[in-house]
Amino acid sequence: MELPAHVVSYLQGQFLSQARPFCFLVDENYRLIESWGDGSWCGLAEIEVDMDMREPVPFLVGLTITAAQELGFIEMPGRAVVNTHVFPHEGLCYVVLLDARYEHGSIQSKQQSMNELRLMHTRQNKLIGRQRDLIGELVETRSELDHHRREAERISANKSRFIAMMSHEFRTPLASIINYADLAGEEGTSSNDVQKSIETISRSARHLTSLVEAVLDDASLDAGQVELLEQDFDIVNLLNDMAAMMAPMAAEKGLSFATFVDPDLPNLVRADEVRLRQILINLLGNAVKFTVEGGVKLTTTYNDGRLVITVSDTGPGITIEDQERVFQAFERGSSRGGTGAGLGLTITLRLVELMGGEVSLDSRPGEGCTVSVHLPIMASADSPSAKRPILPTPGDETIATKPLSILVCDDDEDMIALVEHYLHRSGYGLITSSDSSEAISKTLKYDPDLVLMDCNVPGVGGVVAAKTLRDQGYSRPIVALTASKLSGEQKAVFTHVFRKPAAMQELLIEIKRLTH
Amino acid sequence: MTQVTSKVCVVGDFAVGKTSVVERFVTNQFSEKYLSTVGVKIDTKEIDFPALGVSHKLVIWDVAGSDEFGHTEFAYLRGASGYIYVADGTRPSTLAAIEHLHSQITGQYGQTPFVLLVNKRDLSHDWSVSDEYLDAITRAYRNVYLTSAKTGDDVEDAITRLAELIIDNDMQGA
Repeated sequence: MELPAHVVSYLQGQFLSQARPFCFLVDENYRLIESWGDGSWCGLAEIEVDMDMREPVPFLVGLTITAAQELGFIEMPGRAVVNTHVFPHEGLCYVVLLDARYEHGSIQSKQQSMNELRLMHTRQNKLIGRQRDLIGELVETRSELDHHRREAERISANKSRFIAMMSHEFRTPLASIINYADLAGEEGTSSNDVQKSIETISRSARHLTSLVEAVLDDASLDAGQVELLEQDFDIVNLLNDMAAMMAPMAAEKGLSFATFVDPDLPNLVRADEVRLRQILINLLGNAVKFTVEGGVKLTTTYNDGRLVITVSDTGPGITIEDQERVFQAFERGSSRGGTGAGLGLTITLRLVELMGGEVSLDSRPGEGCTVSVHLPIMASADSPSAKRPILPTPGDETIATKPLSILVCDDDEDMIALVEHYLHRSGYGLITSSDSSEAISKTLKYDPDLVLMDCNVPGVGGVVAAKTLRDQGYSRPIVALTASKLSGEQKAVFTHVFRKPAAMQELLIEIKRLTH
Repeated sequence: MTQVTSKVCVVGDFAVGKTSVVERFVTNQFSEKYLSTVGVKIDTKEIDFPALGVSHKLVIWDVAGSDEFGHTEFAYLRGASGYIYVADGTRPSTLAAIEHLHSQITGQYGQTPFVLLVNKRDLSHDWSVSDEYLDAITRAYRNVYLTSAKTGDDVEDAITRLAELIIDNDMQGA
């Protein structure tokens, strides 16, 4: 189709009015030869022939005028926006500038919105990233704080438990020492009683020393100050010593004590004898202490440089929950009770680990307990053991009653012996018990005239025992004789409270007042 | 003094402050308002080097922001004697964009003098380019400036340095 002249003319007019083309012709040095159109809209009204067009049109600098090209949207210093077309022609060059401000404005507006959106998106992502980092840091910090808090709580609880336990554990032998010293000093005390008092004081002092040593050992292990002193020694001798030491203790409680030594166990081994002895004393001592009936067995096997010491007992056993706790400092296991710093197994575990070994524990409530220690120990001389330990014999307990009878519940034998001495001398008959649960049943069965109760004793404990007795209808005096500090509510359960070490004279006056 | 005129192109990703850098250099002004550039903006400024006896007129092509050059952008760059690369210190991706653009330009037009401006150093609270990355960039590109079009810090030094590099390059070429 060929457009009629007036349509062509209209279109030309439209183009000319909107694009306002301005053309100029330059030579190879950018000098103006001639121009066409009105250049005032793009700041080129004042140009003259032969002038260097790179001055008013700076974007010509660097522009190659030997090749046709098109450059869109050039914003000139005077703010005019041009679309530039370059047409080389016979060594010269036509430059056509078209007004592009409307198109430029429209595109600028769209591009502006798009860029702002992209910027916003970038900032948003950055904020999300920062937020994520902050949340991560917060979670990490919170977790660290929780860990520190739990650790601090654990340490604080251990410390409190340690102080409470030490208070009780120290007070009990101290009470024996003070009271037996008083007894020995009293006029008219027989030489036999003085001798017995001295022996008890000595035993209590040794017990105190062992408590202090346990605490110091634990502190040294904590501080990494324990160093092993390895030397050659006769391990069979050591095992015999242990049997000689533990068998009488077991026999006193009516327990059997058996040992088995692997025939392949060499006589001479290289290890820290003192620390190995400490491990054995702790394990065997615990087994004897916590076993009420049955017995304790020590088994030693040796194979390929590994010594396995197994201590089995027929005691109350340890619940799964308690099995980890008993290796922690100041823990005794809820089902076991007993006396001591609660450090024996902790120290044992640490010493075994220090010696490069492991400890395992196998136990169920009511089915006894087996603790095995695995130690890498090298033989110094390859001679099998010939010595065998001694087997102990069991024994029985007896109970006596009198017209005015008193039930004494205490887990410290010396304390019971001391109270027994004074009460016998004063004409009272005695029923004794080392377990508070047992004390309840004995009280209900024998109906004593007064109950003298320690609070921190195996079983349900002195306070609960006193409450139970009241609930069961026992109305006679219940007197507390304890090293523990009682709350007001706990004190109210008892008729009277004596704190160990108590003056025996005051205790006897009060017992007389309450029973007469 | 000898009059020298050079075409210099300012390139970099969008909104890194290219137009603000040019405005600070040419008119010593700064506007907080972001105005996206379409196509290219032309400005000029002369720098005198009395010691060299040279008055160097820079025709500055402020090219619209892009992290990837196409046919249109390459047409703007033709005949440039030097480049002002601009990145935004609060957006590390804009530095990566410079690495890409530099590689494209070098591939198309060969080695040409340039300076790299890591801009917006006044936004220290939002600064996101690590010292390690900056060290690596400085080792690779040498003429790297931490600038602020807002405060004017190091803008003139950076562009004057480019003008010197162009003169050196021309003299070596001659």
